[in-house]
Amino acid sequence: MLTTFISNTPLLASIVITLLTITTYQFAAACQQKWQYIWLNPMLFTISILVPLLLLTEINYQQYSEKTQLLNLLLEPAIVALGLPLYQQFKQIRFYWREMTAILILGIVVVIIVSFMLAMWLIKAPEIAVALSLKSVTTPIGITLTEQLHGDSSITAFAILIAGLFGALLGPQWLSFIGVNSAKAQGLAIGSASHVIGTAVLVRKSAEHGAYSSVALILSAVLTALISPWLIPLLQKLFY
Amino acid sequence: MNNVLYTIFVISISLLLGKLANYLLAALPASLYGMIIYALFLQLNWFSIEKVTKTNQWFIKHMGVCLVPAGMGIINHFELIQQHGLALVVVIFSTTFILLTVIGYLSERFLITPDNHQSKTTIDSK
Repeated sequence: MLTTFISNTPLLASIVITLLTITTYQFAAACQQKWQYIWLNPMLFTISILVPLLLLTEINYQQYSEKTQLLNLLLEPAIVALGLPLYQQFKQIRFYWREMTAILILGIVVVIIVSFMLAMWLIKAPEIAVALSLKSVTTPIGITLTEQLHGDSSITAFAILIAGLFGALLGPQWLSFIGVNSAKAQGLAIGSASHVIGTAVLVRKSAEHGAYSSVALILSAVLTALISPWLIPLLQKLFY
Repeated sequence: MNNVLYTIFVISISLLLGKLANYLLAALPASLYGMIIYALFLQLNWFSIEKVTKTNQWFIKHMGVCLVPAGMGIINHFELIQQHGLALVVVIFSTTFILLTVIGYLSERFLITPDNHQSKTTIDSK
């Protein structure tokens, strides 16, 4: 019945499915705002509600993604909007930008190589290896880059989510354990490994933690975008 | 309302130029060129930061919902997760942990320099 509804009234179905996605997401975001649980991530929550719903109603992913094209279209301008924090953070970091850029480049190159090789060794699927090597970058940019490099963007989205939760929950303790205690170093490490989720948690520690974490978030996104289009094809060549 | 239209205008211009850059230079996706162009516009003061800030922050706050369709693609991967779930988790955990260690350790070692104090006071005095 539902599938006929979708094929007979495509526009109405589009509106209903898009609104359902937005409402579920907003509900989860409101809950997280209220209770402040890290694991109550709006995206995770929305997907875990919608996936069973799609399975129950026998709407396949192809149909779902066609009906939510509007959200996909808005992703491009949303990424452009990240230019404002980029501009703001660059004003903040002008004292250290050389050191920070060098450290982040090193970290990004190491993590892309290790992720790609580990994934090829354990899973042996190139599109999954691409997806996993782009997991240390904020979600919208990770997804865009993965698609450009013919990886599987849904795996990227999940890997970024898991990396975010892991770093937010265990990152600060781990860093203290290995003797990394300054707000700068903790902020940069968590921001580049755990992006928005990590930054949201770290900002509660101190404003300086939060500032450096968002610097790392933005700067590592730009650097990954510059590095990955030549590093990943190189790795792909190595394996074929 | 004017500021909303202004922000949409500036972002659209940046995105269009981003598309052009992507067409001419390839390499980066159009939206990322757009992001850099937009930051550059603000840096050069070609457009007003005060006018775009509020709407821009609203965009960023709500952009997460645009990522849901991409994440929903996981529905096609139940088999992969069943087969390689552990391997996926191992790769994600170990590399996140490597990144935390590399960046944390290097930053602790190299960013705590004498000009640390100087830069801090400059920021404070602003």
